[in-house]
Amino acid sequence: MKTVHPPRLATWMLDRFGPGDDGLTGDLMEELEQGRSRAWFWRQTLAAVLYRRRTRRAVRPLLLVDRDPVLPHPAGRRVVNLTASPLPGIGGLGLVALALLVSIMSPGSWLVALAILVIGLAAGAVLGYVRGRRAPKPPAPALLGRR
Amino acid sequence: LPRTFLTDFELMLLLATLRVGEEAYGAQIAREIEQTGGRPVLLGAAYAALDRLEVNGLVRSTLAEPTPTRGGRAKRIFRVTLRGVRAIRDTQQALIALWSGIPQLQEDRT
Repeated sequence: MKTVHPPRLATWMLDRFGPGDDGLTGDLMEELEQGRSRAWFWRQTLAAVLYRRRTRRAVRPLLLVDRDPVLPHPAGRRVVNLTASPLPGIGGLGLVALALLVSIMSPGSWLVALAILVIGLAAGAVLGYVRGRRAPKPPAPALLGRR
Repeated sequence: LPRTFLTDFELMLLLATLRVGEEAYGAQIAREIEQTGGRPVLLGAAYAALDRLEVNGLVRSTLAEPTPTRGGRAKRIFRVTLRGVRAIRDTQQALIALWSGIPQLQEDRT
């Protein structure tokens, strides 16, 4: 019996973008071996990939802002909080992704951000110093006792 | 226990799995639906639905030994659980109840 080789690209697509189920890929190969056409194999492969995309569980990786990362999710749905943030509205991995994006697209922006940070810290320190000097000092407890 | 109702495709998958028997795997189940039920089946859709049924405890799957004809890929054998059988019965009863007393359908029969 002549061995029929499945289209390599199709099997790669199944492994890479399909459900990652050896059962499905093996079934398709077996059916091909038993006389199904390559067109049938391709049709099944593309359908499996599309189904995979449609039914993929609702995991939303790398979101900059997650609407409710700490709320309980309905039973039966496996949800991974990839934002790794305990605070609603702030996504940890999203911020990391943004930082990477900025580093790649415009590394000079970090200098601007650093300059703004330094100016902010300096301004805060100066304001704190000035306020501290202007504020009246409370009288010492020992002096109050003598009066 | 709460009653479980199945979609038409889920019902067909479970019935076909039962019909095929002990060694039911995806391609066989799909073929059974196509040949006996007359409905074309995409294997990807069948596996997606079987995964969903397994998550809900209506089927159980085990991996068999890989074979050369399958490119060294293991066969996934499906079995309907007791909960699955109960879900089939619940759905059947609901459908029969809905079926009865519809004059248009009775006219079609004669």
